[in-house]
Amino acid sequence: MTHSLHREGTRDSLERDYVVFIYPARGFNYKGNQPKVRHLVEIIYQNEPVNMISTSLRQNLYSEVPHEDVLDSISNGDESTRVYSCFKNRENIKQLLKDFKEADEGISIMVSGLVDRVRDLAAEVGLSPHTINLSLGIQGNVSRLPPPDIRQFTTMCGHGVVSPNLVRDHIRKVKTGRTTSWDASVALAKPCACGIYNPYRSKEMLDDLTPVYTVSRW
Amino acid sequence: MLIREELCVGCGQCQPYCPTAAIGFQGMKSVVDQDVCYECGTCLRVGICPVDALAEHPMVYEYPRALRKFFSDPSATHKATGIQGRGTEESKTNDVTGRVKPHEAGIAIEVGRPTLGMGLHDIQKISQALARAGINEIEECNPIHSMIADEATGTLKEELLGERVLSAIIEISVPKERVPVVLQTIKEVAKEVDSVFMLDVFSTLGPNLEIQPDILEMITDAGFNWRPNAKINMGLGRAWE
Repeated sequence: MTHSLHREGTRDSLERDYVVFIYPARGFNYKGNQPKVRHLVEIIYQNEPVNMISTSLRQNLYSEVPHEDVLDSISNGDESTRVYSCFKNRENIKQLLKDFKEADEGISIMVSGLVDRVRDLAAEVGLSPHTINLSLGIQGNVSRLPPPDIRQFTTMCGHGVVSPNLVRDHIRKVKTGRTTSWDASVALAKPCACGIYNPYRSKEMLDDLTPVYTVSRW
Repeated sequence: MLIREELCVGCGQCQPYCPTAAIGFQGMKSVVDQDVCYECGTCLRVGICPVDALAEHPMVYEYPRALRKFFSDPSATHKATGIQGRGTEESKTNDVTGRVKPHEAGIAIEVGRPTLGMGLHDIQKISQALARAGINEIEECNPIHSMIADEATGTLKEELLGERVLSAIIEISVPKERVPVVLQTIKEVAKEVDSVFMLDVFSTLGPNLEIQPDILEMITDAGFNWRPNAKINMGLGRAWE
C-alpha cells in the first residue's frame, strides 16, 4: 500500500520529497485515538505540507476543503482515520518530527524518503526508527512500462491512479501554452486518492521536461 | 465504470484520466471497455465529466467483479482487511504490532505496480511458484490469502482467474534464513509474469537506522539491488488496547 518507497526520479529531485503517514494500528491503538490523530494532523498543518489527505475525507490539500472540515472528519473505532502527507523541505520535516516526538501521541509515524536523509533527520531529532521497508525496484515484464521520465510522475501516486496518458496530456498542454506547469501539477495531483503526489516536485519536473518534448497534433 | 451514451457529449476529457486506457471513442462518444476497466473509479472521482455521464457499472459490487473495485479503488475498503487498499498494515505499524520480529523479514510483492495492473492469473503464477518452493507463509490477513483455493499448490479460485485489478500485494513473513529461497523463487517467476511487480523487503533496524547487514547481503546475493529511498517506521507508536 501507498507505494511511497518506490518513487522514481533523480536523487537530486528526491531530496525535496518526503512522505509522512499517521497510521494507527488496528487492535492495538484504535480505541480513543481520535484526539491524538487530530493533534498530529494539526501539527502537520503547522509545518507546511505540500499535500495531505485523511482517509475519512479523501480530499487533498488543493481541493479547497477547509482545514476544519478535515479535522472534524477524523474518526476512531472500526474506521480509524489514517493520514497521508507530503513535504518538500528538509527543515519542515525536521520540525515536524520534533513536534511529533514532543507530542508523544503513541501513533505510528512513517517517513518515506532518501534513507541517508531520514537517518540524519532521525539523529538530529533524537528518534530511533524501528523498521525499514526497502524497495528492490520493478521486476517482471518491464518492457510494458511507460518510460522513466513519465514514471517519475506516476510513481508519486501510491495506488497508481495518476495515469501515464494524463501526464503526457499535461506535458502537451504546458508545451502548447494551454496551462502552466503549476496548474498542470495540481491537476495531476487530483486523481491521487492517497494525497502524496508532490505538486512542487511535479512542477520542477515539468519545467525540466517540457522544453525537450516535441508535441504532435492531438 | 460506464458512460451513459445518452448523456455523453464526446468531449473525450475523461479518457486520459484512465490508468489503464480503457476509455476510447466509439463514433462520436466515449465508451469504457468493460474487459479492460479495473473499476478504480478514478474517472468518476475526479469529476471531469461536464455532463455527469460517468456512472458505476451495475455489477461492480457483485462477486467476482467486485474484486476489481476492492483491489483497484483506493477509497474502497476490502472486507478481508477492513483497510482501504490492497494489503495490510505491514511495516507501517510494526513498532506497535511486532508483526515482523528482529529475526524475521517481511517480503511484499506488489503485483501490477507501477500503474500497469494485471490479470489475476499473474497472482496465481507467483502463488504457485511460492508453493512449489515450500513457501506457504502468505499473510493470513492479506486479501490474497482468501483468494487461494489450495494452499498446497497456490492455486486461486477458478472463478477469479478472468478478473483484472490495478494492483494486489502478496505479503510474506519468514525467518531471515528463508529470505534467499524466497528471493530466488521471485527472481525466477518474474520471467513468467505478463505484468510487472514492485518488490519490497522489510526488517527491523539497529541503532542509528542501521539496516541489518545480513539482510542486505541476502538481497545482493540474490541478484537484487535496493533503491536509495525507502519507507521508514520512526518508532513513535505504542499499544494501549
